[in-house]
Amino acid sequence: MSLGFGFTSGLRALAAARLGMQTAGNNIANVNTLGYSRQRMELSAALPYSTGSGFQIGSGVEIGGVFGIVDQGLQRRIQLQQGLVGAAEVDQLRFNEIEGILSEPNGGLSESLQGLFGSISQLQTDPADRALRGGVVQAGSVLSQGFRMIASRMGDLAGSTFDEVRGLVRQVNDRANAIAELNRQIVAIEANGAVANDLRDTRAQHIHDISKLLDTRAIERDTGSVDLLVGGHLIVASDQASELSVGKTAEGLTKITAGQTATATTIREGRIAALLRQEITGVPEIMQRIDQLARNTILEFNRLHTTGMPASGPFSSLTSAYGPIDGNNTGIFGDELLSQAGFDFDVQSGSLYIAVTNESSGAMERTRIDIDPGTATLANVASAISGIDHLTASVDASGKLRINADAGYGFDFSARLDPNPDEPGTFGGTRPSIGSQSAGPFDISGQTFPVTFDVLTGTPSLPNTEQVTLQASDFANTSAATVDELVAAINDDLGTEATAHNIGGRLVIQSSQGGSTSQLGLANGSGSVLGDLQLSTTTTSGRDIALDVAVEGNYTGDNNDEYVFVPTGDGQIGRTAGLQIEVYNKAGTLVTRLDVGDQYEPDDPIDIGDGISVSFGPGSVSATDGQTFAMDVLADSDTSDLLVALGMNAFFLGSSASDIEVDPRLLSNPDGLSAGMTLADGDANNLERMLGLREQNIDDLSANSIEDFYADIVGEIGFDTAAATDTLQAQSQLLEHLEAERQSISGVNIDEEMVSMMQYQQSYEAAARFITIAQQMTDTLINLGR
Amino acid sequence: MSMRITQGMLYSRALADVQRGLFRYAQLQQEVATGRRVNRPSDDPAAALRILPLRNDLRNLDQLGSNVALARETLNTSASSLEDASTLMQRVRELTTQAANGTMSSEDRRNIGAEIDQLLQQIVSIGNSRRSDRYLFGGTQSGSAPFDIIEDGGGTRVVYRGNHETLDIEVAPGVNTALNLAGDAIFQQRNRGATLFSVPAGVTPTGATPAGGGDTGIGFGELDVTFAGLHTDAPPTVSAGNGTTNAVGPLSFTFTSGPDTLSVGGGPALNLPITDGAFMTADGRTISLTVTGVPPTTSGTFTSKAGLSIDGGESVMEISDFSSNSLMLRDSYDGTVLNVNVQNLIRTGSEDVEYSGTFDAFTTLISLRDLMNNDDELSDESVRERVAQMLTAVDGAHDAVLDGLRELGFRSSSMDMLNNRVEGLRISRQESLSMVQDTDMAEAILELQRQDLSYQTALQVTSRVIQTSLTGILR
Repeated sequence: MSLGFGFTSGLRALAAARLGMQTAGNNIANVNTLGYSRQRMELSAALPYSTGSGFQIGSGVEIGGVFGIVDQGLQRRIQLQQGLVGAAEVDQLRFNEIEGILSEPNGGLSESLQGLFGSISQLQTDPADRALRGGVVQAGSVLSQGFRMIASRMGDLAGSTFDEVRGLVRQVNDRANAIAELNRQIVAIEANGAVANDLRDTRAQHIHDISKLLDTRAIERDTGSVDLLVGGHLIVASDQASELSVGKTAEGLTKITAGQTATATTIREGRIAALLRQEITGVPEIMQRIDQLARNTILEFNRLHTTGMPASGPFSSLTSAYGPIDGNNTGIFGDELLSQAGFDFDVQSGSLYIAVTNESSGAMERTRIDIDPGTATLANVASAISGIDHLTASVDASGKLRINADAGYGFDFSARLDPNPDEPGTFGGTRPSIGSQSAGPFDISGQTFPVTFDVLTGTPSLPNTEQVTLQASDFANTSAATVDELVAAINDDLGTEATAHNIGGRLVIQSSQGGSTSQLGLANGSGSVLGDLQLSTTTTSGRDIALDVAVEGNYTGDNNDEYVFVPTGDGQIGRTAGLQIEVYNKAGTLVTRLDVGDQYEPDDPIDIGDGISVSFGPGSVSATDGQTFAMDVLADSDTSDLLVALGMNAFFLGSSASDIEVDPRLLSNPDGLSAGMTLADGDANNLERMLGLREQNIDDLSANSIEDFYADIVGEIGFDTAAATDTLQAQSQLLEHLEAERQSISGVNIDEEMVSMMQYQQSYEAAARFITIAQQMTDTLINLGR
Repeated sequence: MSMRITQGMLYSRALADVQRGLFRYAQLQQEVATGRRVNRPSDDPAAALRILPLRNDLRNLDQLGSNVALARETLNTSASSLEDASTLMQRVRELTTQAANGTMSSEDRRNIGAEIDQLLQQIVSIGNSRRSDRYLFGGTQSGSAPFDIIEDGGGTRVVYRGNHETLDIEVAPGVNTALNLAGDAIFQQRNRGATLFSVPAGVTPTGATPAGGGDTGIGFGELDVTFAGLHTDAPPTVSAGNGTTNAVGPLSFTFTSGPDTLSVGGGPALNLPITDGAFMTADGRTISLTVTGVPPTTSGTFTSKAGLSIDGGESVMEISDFSSNSLMLRDSYDGTVLNVNVQNLIRTGSEDVEYSGTFDAFTTLISLRDLMNNDDELSDESVRERVAQMLTAVDGAHDAVLDGLRELGFRSSSMDMLNNRVEGLRISRQESLSMVQDTDMAEAILELQRQDLSYQTALQVTSRVIQTSLTGILR
């Protein structure tokens, strides 16, 4: 037994106990430290030595080191899950915000849409009430504001993505820098063989934080440093960090680039990825549908409103809200084709009907303007309108169309019926007329041109003769001479005594003199063209008193048409047994026959279907003379949508959710609201059409009605939000579970540490005791020698 | 070995549990506070999809409810106007009966005439009834008075300036009702019968007869036939004289010479030459002629032209051709038309024209008033006779008003039915909506209490568990 016996192993035991106590203390101290992994001291028995007697005796305990208890695989899984949770958080937050913006089902657009329809229904009960009219305008404003508020808040939401991503990328960069610094320290420490447990924990926590924001891959080098990869770019390489930067793509989308590269880095997970995804799919997709809704609401309401009649009656002047862009770069507005005029709403190939009303007599004349946006310019349309009696139209310097009526006249675009369709009097007027027996075109190719006939007029007998000469060159095709060509050719030759008309596709020649003594006769000159034209050569007389034709009602048919009325025989209205008036449509199909014979009481309205009734006053009609009148029956008086494109007599202006507004013209004067179609102030027909929109399925809204389309958007957002919430919950729970697992492995259990502490305390006490005893034994030994 | 548990786990799990409990607690609290289970679409997206259309339906039904209320009010106002009109018509009937039966002085009659004139004005103003500035009986022409009394050379008449359009409003889903009755349907009659000509007793008719159809006049009228000179077919030596002429139409004549005489229409021959000679025809008509001598043709026919007028001579149609069975005459005042068969017209004079079946409230009253005032100075007897005839017209006009009342009453009662239906629909929609969106309070409050309890328990248990560790026990 040597004197040094026991001391070495005793000291080692003391040191081990102390270190163990320190480790436990450190563990307890870090019980709440995020990402901290509990540490364990590793001990082994020190190398034994051999005694002389051949025994091997242990030399105490050896401290192997202090290690963190970490499951690397679990750590990786947690990182991944963090990314998923981060993304789910963003999605949930976004959808929540969108849901909040729509604020359904309490007080969102659904209420404003209903409010507009409700106010229209209310105005319908008293169309002349100014306050109720104001109510409709107000409801339109509220709806517009609702749309605009959604657009602006959604815009803010989309715009905030960039700032939000920039903030998050800054966090990534800070973390990357920190990791690079930690790498440096860890490499330095671990080069001496130690393990930098705490630094490693801190670094792991930083990587953790980054994984929440974007998907990253960490690669640990042999030196102990960790490289971080984001979308294939190294953002940390040992002790060097290369920062990510945030910019915008050409399309205005947020993009993230790494280091010096210009191409966007692909980010698939984490909050940043979710934000970038939302920028493309979430907000813009919903906004696109809200815009679509606003656009179609504007289009459909305006289609009806532009073709209605304002309470203030026909317009004396009207200026469009919009004009064309300078589509062909000539510096002039209005000379570009309508198809290239850059209107928010496309001009279709169709017809615009303009009615001019004489304010004192109430007489109305309607003109059809055919519009082909591929060949016509706005200037062409203006000159066509100027061609209408009592109207002038021009395109001003800013491209806006302005229409003015002469004093005493007004114009409108309403689809109303002409109350007095026999304006030229070729049916019941006092001036004698002779019309063709059927509608043109006529085959006059059998004639030898030039062909002539005489128009004989006079009071009494026929003192005036005017000769009409028809040339082959007057016609594009003599085997199908159109009535318009004939009218032009005949009127060229006729003086003031007579005029040719195109009445519903029939050629009618009418004397300028009225009364029963005024006569009209036609006689063939060279050739026999009158037969080809189905014109009677029997002389006829005018009337002293006109036969009244009056029309009432509102056309309820689906298509624009023209009704042509012709008597079936010669006779007296209300007197001649069996006398009928046949009504043909534009296609030449018989619509109905009206009994006006001895069973008919003159001036009684006869229902001819589709909401129209016609009455005939007393008097004689003649089939022989080809007496006829025609009447436009319009379902849509602007099939070209030109008025919608120009914003003329519009209800809404704008073309999307962000710029929809009620035409300010109406805000300042609700009498401009087109509630009716006719001049009657109690007419609510246009309101009825507008209410019909409620049930109308619109093709561009996937064949949904306006309200249904909106309800679908709301429902979808509801589903998306609920799904995002569910996803977040599921992912968070998974993360919680993983964290728990990590805690189970790496977390600090205070009880455990208490036990360790007691263990170490006891082993410390025991070791100290051992040393004391060893010392006493040594003392005993020394005293033995005294 | 079972899972190793650490304090950190306890803390975070406790925190998560308490958090979840609190979240559900807050949710329940909102459900109870707002009374709604679905406060945002994501609370229950499927429910949200049903809520929007249900709410739209409900608001729409509310609107329909107020439409019905308004419609009923308008219909009731119209009906009470017509009730007034009916009362007035009853008074008219009393006065008419009185005038038809009793003998009364022209003074008394004039008083009745004045009262009837008052009644006329009142009925016209009923026709022009308004509700909040809107005329009720003018069709959709509601901004201007539909009835207008016109007094001119053609007498008094009431014209309708409204239209026949109805103002339809939706009163139940898919059901439209007209708010208005066009006034001419109520106050104006179109039960036109055959037009009748008559002359007072003792007066010879003109021979003109109604053409039978196609007439547009209403009430009473008058056809005046006057002599309009000789047609150019008269012999050159014959011209119209200044004496009385009542013969119109073609007349045969015979000249004899030495002594020169002329006989017209088979009547006695008068010696020629003669100035303003009063020639008699065989059938007792006279014609005043000035004849200078015997013409080359000694016998034949000449025509005495007739002037026809139905507007008291304001516009006269001269005819020399008496072959028409349907000559159209027009009243230049009101534009109405009378078709006359002139084939047997031989004599000047007046025919009283009755457009039977056309007596409406206005024409009846106007005719009665004019009869009472007796400006035509008819005998008492014939005034009484005519007034008695008017009784049917009065009843007819009254019936038309009653028909209007019935129609309004029918609409009003169907409105009640519709109102019940709308109300029923509203309740059922309200129930559906409530089912979908409202919180089941009993359940929610129970749940809230349960959540409260489990939250409290969670807190207590957590605090206990968290406190528990060896530290507290080891000294």
